[in-house]
Amino acid sequence: MTDQVQILRTANRHRLRRERILLYILIACLVTAVMFPFVWILIMSFKPSADMFAWPPKVFFAPTFDHYLGLWDGEFPKSFWNSLVTSVGSTVAAMLFGVPGAYALSRMAYKTGSRLSLFILASRMAPPIAFTIPYFLAYRYIGLHDTLFGLILIYLTFNLSLVIWLMRSFFDAIPRTLEEAAWIDGANMWQGFTKIILPMSGPGLAATAILCFLYSWNDFFFALILTRTEATTAPVAVVNFLDHEGWQWGKIAAGGTMVMLPVLVFSVAVRKFLISGMSAGAVKG
Amino acid sequence: MAANLKRDPEDLRQKFYWFCLWPAFMVLIAVTLAPTIYLFVISFTPLDLTRPETSWDFSKPLGQYKIIWEDKRLHNSWWVQAKLSFWTVLIQMILGFLFALFLNVKSKLLEALRTVFLIPMVLPPIVVAIIWKVLYTPDISPFHWAAEGLGFMVPALITDPDWALWAIIIADIWEWFPFVMLMILSALQMMPEEYIEAAKIDGANVWQMTWYVTIPYLKGVLIVAALFRIVDSIKAFPLIYILTDGGPGSLTEVTNYYSFMQAFNFSYLGYSSAITVTLVIATILASWGIIRLVGWGKPID
Repeated sequence: MTDQVQILRTANRHRLRRERILLYILIACLVTAVMFPFVWILIMSFKPSADMFAWPPKVFFAPTFDHYLGLWDGEFPKSFWNSLVTSVGSTVAAMLFGVPGAYALSRMAYKTGSRLSLFILASRMAPPIAFTIPYFLAYRYIGLHDTLFGLILIYLTFNLSLVIWLMRSFFDAIPRTLEEAAWIDGANMWQGFTKIILPMSGPGLAATAILCFLYSWNDFFFALILTRTEATTAPVAVVNFLDHEGWQWGKIAAGGTMVMLPVLVFSVAVRKFLISGMSAGAVKG
Repeated sequence: MAANLKRDPEDLRQKFYWFCLWPAFMVLIAVTLAPTIYLFVISFTPLDLTRPETSWDFSKPLGQYKIIWEDKRLHNSWWVQAKLSFWTVLIQMILGFLFALFLNVKSKLLEALRTVFLIPMVLPPIVVAIIWKVLYTPDISPFHWAAEGLGFMVPALITDPDWALWAIIIADIWEWFPFVMLMILSALQMMPEEYIEAAKIDGANVWQMTWYVTIPYLKGVLIVAALFRIVDSIKAFPLIYILTDGGPGSLTEVTNYYSFMQAFNFSYLGYSSAITVTLVIATILASWGIIRLVGWGKPID
C-alpha cells in the first residue's frame, strides 16, 4: 500500500518536472521571438558599415559609434529636441486641463460621466486622418503648419481624453470621506482637491503623465503631415533617412535606437508606477 | 431659510465641479468635436487643393459620397482592410489565448518577464516598421541569410504579390499579440479557484475545462480585446507606409491608407474627407459597442 503511494508520488513528480521543462522551453521561445527583432536593430546600430552586408553575419565585430556620430552632425539632434518639446508640452497641457476635469467627473453624479464616456472613447479611437485633414487645412490658413505649437495642439486630441479616462479611475479609488473630513475642518473645495486629493494621487499622476509623453513621442502620422522642415520630429527624421539619403542602414538603426530609448526607459517606470499606484490606492482606501 | 442653508453647500459643490470640468470640456470640444464637424463639412465639397475654386463649393453636396459608391479602388481597399483585420485579430486572439493559458502559473520568473512582453507594443510604431523593414529586405535580413544558408530560395516578401499582405499581417501580429496575451493573463489570474476546483471534482478533463469553464469566464475580456484590436487595425498606418507603400499594385492598400493617399498625394481633400467620415462612423459604432459591453470607467486592462 505505502509502496503504491510512493510510486504514484514519484510518477507525479516526474510529470510535474516534465511540464516545468516544457514551460521553460516555451517561455524561452516566446522571449526570443519578442526580443530578437529589436535586439537585432540595437546590434546593427553599432556595426561598422563594412560588416553590415557580410555573409556569414559577423557575430563578433569591433563596435563603432560612427552611426551615432553621423546622426549628431546632421539635422537629427534638432528633430530629437522637437520631439522632446512637443511631447512634454502636450503632456503638461493635457494634465493641466484634464486632471481637474477628471476629478470633477469622478465626484459628480454618475449620469453626466457616462454621457461623456462615448465622446471620450470615440475621440481616442478615431483614425488619426479624421483629425489630420481639418487640422491641415486650418493650419495652412492660420499659419500653424510646421510649428511645434501646432503639433502640441493636435496631440491634445488623444492626450486630453487619455488623462480624463485614466485619472478618473484613480480618483474613483480615493474615498470621498477624505475631502469631506477636510471640509468639516474648514478647508474649501479647492484646498480639498489640491491639498488632500492631489498629493495622494502622486503615482497615478506620474503614470498618466508618462503615458501621455509616450503617446506623443510615438506619434508619426500627425508629424508626417503637419511638419515640413522646421518642426520635424525624430520619428519623421528617421524615416527621411530611408527615403532621401539612399538606404543608410547604420544611420537608420542608430536613429531608430535613439527614438526607442526613452520609450523603453519610461515603460519600465510606468509598469512600476502602475502597480504601486493601484496597490497604494487599495491599501490606503 | 433653513432649507436654503441646507442646500447651499451642495449647490456650491456642484458649481465647483462644473468649474473644474468646464476648461477640460471646452478644450476637448475645440480640439476634437470642432475639427470633426469641419471634416463633415469638407466632405460635402469637392475640395481639391490645386483648384482653389472648389473650396466651399456646395453645389453638389453628395457628389463625393456618390464617388464612394462607384470607386472600384476604394472597394478593393475595404476588402484588403477586411482581410488584414480578420487575419491579424484572429491569429492574435488565438496566440494570445494559448500563451496566456500556458503562462498562467505562479512564477517569479514570469512576473519579471511580463515587462519583456510589453516591448513590442510600447515601441514607437515607426521603429517596429523599421525593424521589419530590415527583416524583410533580403540584402540585410538575418532571416534571408538563414534561409539561403539552409538552401531555400525565399522571395522578398514585401514586394511579392502573394506575400505582401501576409508580411504586414506577420509584423502586426508580432507587435500586438502580447496585448491580447497580457489582457487575458491578468483576467485568468483573477479567476476564482472554486471554478477550477468544482470542475475538477466533476471530473472534467483539460479540454472540457477550457471550453466550459475558462472560455465562458473570459468572454468579456476576449470580446473587449478583439474590439480594441479591430479598431486599431483600421488605423494601421506606419507598417504599410514603411513596408509596402500600399503595393505591390494596391494589394496592401487599406481604406485608411487610401484615404491618406487621396488627401496628401493627390490632394483630393474633399473625397478623402468623405471616405474618412465613413471610417469615423465605423469607429463610433465600435466604441459604442465597447461601452455597451463593459460600461464606462470599469478597469479594462
